[in-house]
Amino acid sequence: MPLFGKSQKSPAELVRSLKDAVTALERGDKKAEKAQEDVSKNLVLIKNMLYGTSDAEPQTDIIVAQLAQELYNTNLLLLLIQNLNRIDFEGKKDVAQVFNNVLRRQIGTRSPTVEYICTKPEILFTLMSGYEHQEIASNCGTMLRECARYEALAKIMLYSDDFYNFFRYVEVSTFDIASDAFSTFKELLTRHKMLCAEFLEANYDKVFSHYQRLLNSENYVTRRQSLKLLGELLLDRHNFSIMTRYITNPDNLKLMMNMLKEKSRNIQFEAFHVFKVFVANPNKPKPILDILLRNQDKLVDFLTKFHTDRSEDEQFNDEKAYLIKQIKELKPLEH
Amino acid sequence: MDPRMCRKISSSESLPDADNVEFEVSNVIAPQESDDNFMLEGSPEPHSVTWLHDDEIEDLDPPNFYFNRVDSADIIYRSKKKKCKMVGKYVMGDVLGEGSYGKVKEMLDSVTLCRRAVKILKKRKLRRIPNGEQNVQREIQLLRILRHKNVIELVDVIFNDEKQKMYLVMEFCVGVLQDMLESSPGKKFPQRQAHDYFTQLLDGLEYLHGQGVVHKDIKPGNLLLTLDQTLKITDFGVAEALDMFSPEDTCYTGQGSPAFQPPEIANGAEQFSGIKVDIWSSGVTLYNMTTGRYPFEGDNVYRLLEAIGRGWPAPPPAWVGASLGALLTAMLARDPALRPGVHDIRRHAWVQSRPPLEPGERLVSPRSRRSDELHNSTVIPYLVERHYPSSEEYFTERDLRHELCSGGSRTLSTAELSEGESSHKRRWHSSCGRLPSCRLT
Repeated sequence: MPLFGKSQKSPAELVRSLKDAVTALERGDKKAEKAQEDVSKNLVLIKNMLYGTSDAEPQTDIIVAQLAQELYNTNLLLLLIQNLNRIDFEGKKDVAQVFNNVLRRQIGTRSPTVEYICTKPEILFTLMSGYEHQEIASNCGTMLRECARYEALAKIMLYSDDFYNFFRYVEVSTFDIASDAFSTFKELLTRHKMLCAEFLEANYDKVFSHYQRLLNSENYVTRRQSLKLLGELLLDRHNFSIMTRYITNPDNLKLMMNMLKEKSRNIQFEAFHVFKVFVANPNKPKPILDILLRNQDKLVDFLTKFHTDRSEDEQFNDEKAYLIKQIKELKPLEH
Repeated sequence: MDPRMCRKISSSESLPDADNVEFEVSNVIAPQESDDNFMLEGSPEPHSVTWLHDDEIEDLDPPNFYFNRVDSADIIYRSKKKKCKMVGKYVMGDVLGEGSYGKVKEMLDSVTLCRRAVKILKKRKLRRIPNGEQNVQREIQLLRILRHKNVIELVDVIFNDEKQKMYLVMEFCVGVLQDMLESSPGKKFPQRQAHDYFTQLLDGLEYLHGQGVVHKDIKPGNLLLTLDQTLKITDFGVAEALDMFSPEDTCYTGQGSPAFQPPEIANGAEQFSGIKVDIWSSGVTLYNMTTGRYPFEGDNVYRLLEAIGRGWPAPPPAWVGASLGALLTAMLARDPALRPGVHDIRRHAWVQSRPPLEPGERLVSPRSRRSDELHNSTVIPYLVERHYPSSEEYFTERDLRHELCSGGSRTLSTAELSEGESSHKRRWHSSCGRLPSCRLT
């Protein structure tokens, strides 16, 4: 109890008044302005309970546990996210802070909020659709990436149909939204290695047909980022079977060869790191071998002149020399 | 440097001209200290003797030493000139540590002002180590590709053909887990601290294995800490890159440290799973960090390997708790196939929950060899000397004692002295960076 000032509201009272205020805000009637104010005020109080302030420590574990329990019972987290666009600027940030704090809560080995969200996946889907709305995209992004740290939640997102919306979000014209969406997208595909490998394997065709569109995007940044991520995915041993599958498809090889000739040197360079895997493969299938053989002389010539100013980068030069040697020594399969 | 650590060489060794000048100075100072100075009054031609710095001793031919007695009152010290030395764009600082390959020193990047550490490799020394040169080549090759928060970053490689030296410029770290363990009560960490390091080790390992790199020498001695307590896996001298197109992680050679080797290597298996070797060594590391002991012990390497080969680790003590005990036992499974992967370990109850700091437990902080808790830059004194050169300072044993008795707050701290005395590598240090190279004539 504070020595001076008003006596503090209990977690249950706080959550109830916040919920009332958000509901009023949702109705959007005459009292909206008052509701807006109440929402902001109560959010600050809840935030202070969790984080403390400059002159007050965070509340005890018991109070925080009560608060979390109230949040689950009233489904207030979902309600807040659904109405995020109606809450004022500071309030949006407070929602994200409260959400992330409650999410990280642990009791022994259990994460109660993670378990709660698993039973209410709408929360995740609502957050993902936040990328449709410019004014809440980055707030939703911070909450999504916090969720993606938990394997159980990442799994729900990856295996949902909504995941494929990311292929659209990463290409939107607003740069900050596109790059925020891309970092969430990347987190989902790389954070939990086993989960990601299983997901990519099970949904190989669907994911890579979508991915192909990113690689062919009109947007330079999208093309470059997605190509870089592709290289990372294929060169990670956890994705071994995905890599072996990817490099047997001649269309993928053709795409990479075209990207080697792109105007942008950065894209050329990233493409090189995917292209090298096709060439280094000791068991090249016939269609791949045929393409390489058809272009044997041209490729040797091209690679010899490729990024010759990178003389400092020994790794790159070694790899380039290796590829040139491999291509020179290519022979048609004997039958 | 402790006078007892200094070795003298006879006057027949060639001496730099500068020594003659110092002889004159010592004539002036020494009588003040001891009136019946035998050396000065008794012997018409005192032996000229030179005190050498450790570095210089290494370059001498060993058989030419002989010892003769010198009274401590006859010794005068000279504060070591902090001569500013540049390698490429880096300014050299003091020694941070020493490995079998050579010294590690602190450096400052004069362009970006980033603190760095440099591993100095002497070709001559490297040749004496089995596979030395080959291992360094491999380490450089691997480190160039690897980029992860928990893997040491190789920033630059500089060769000096004339001196036959190689400089590996790396991220700056403040301590090695091994040193911290040795300095802590019970040679172990509180579980909270071990947990923080172990989860970072798992992140680093998962990345390495994802890149097809098997480290093969995971141990507290190869885990460094940065100023912000980020763990860095280092020393890729015996690491191996797996074939990108082979679905297996088969390795054929194991050259890691014996106490951390798994039974399959101890038993001389011709091929084994590389990834499970790292899991085993991480298990021994965790065992060691949390209990202060090793799961296998032996009087010598052969006994040790024999014990490991039998594969019955000393059960983790009951006081570590059931959860950690179970994790350790699982990681130290004799059959590599039964050892959990990084993914399974992450899901283990002990890893999932961060243990609290028990009452009475204290976190162990990284220690530099200078016992400087704030980890001040050791490059600064060199830069100060370079830009504001001070006149040379001489001082005697008596001055030193006097300083120590009067609290030693000005130039020598008593803490440093008492520590120096307990360790066999005794060195004089002072806040102004006075590391005397003493000379006597």
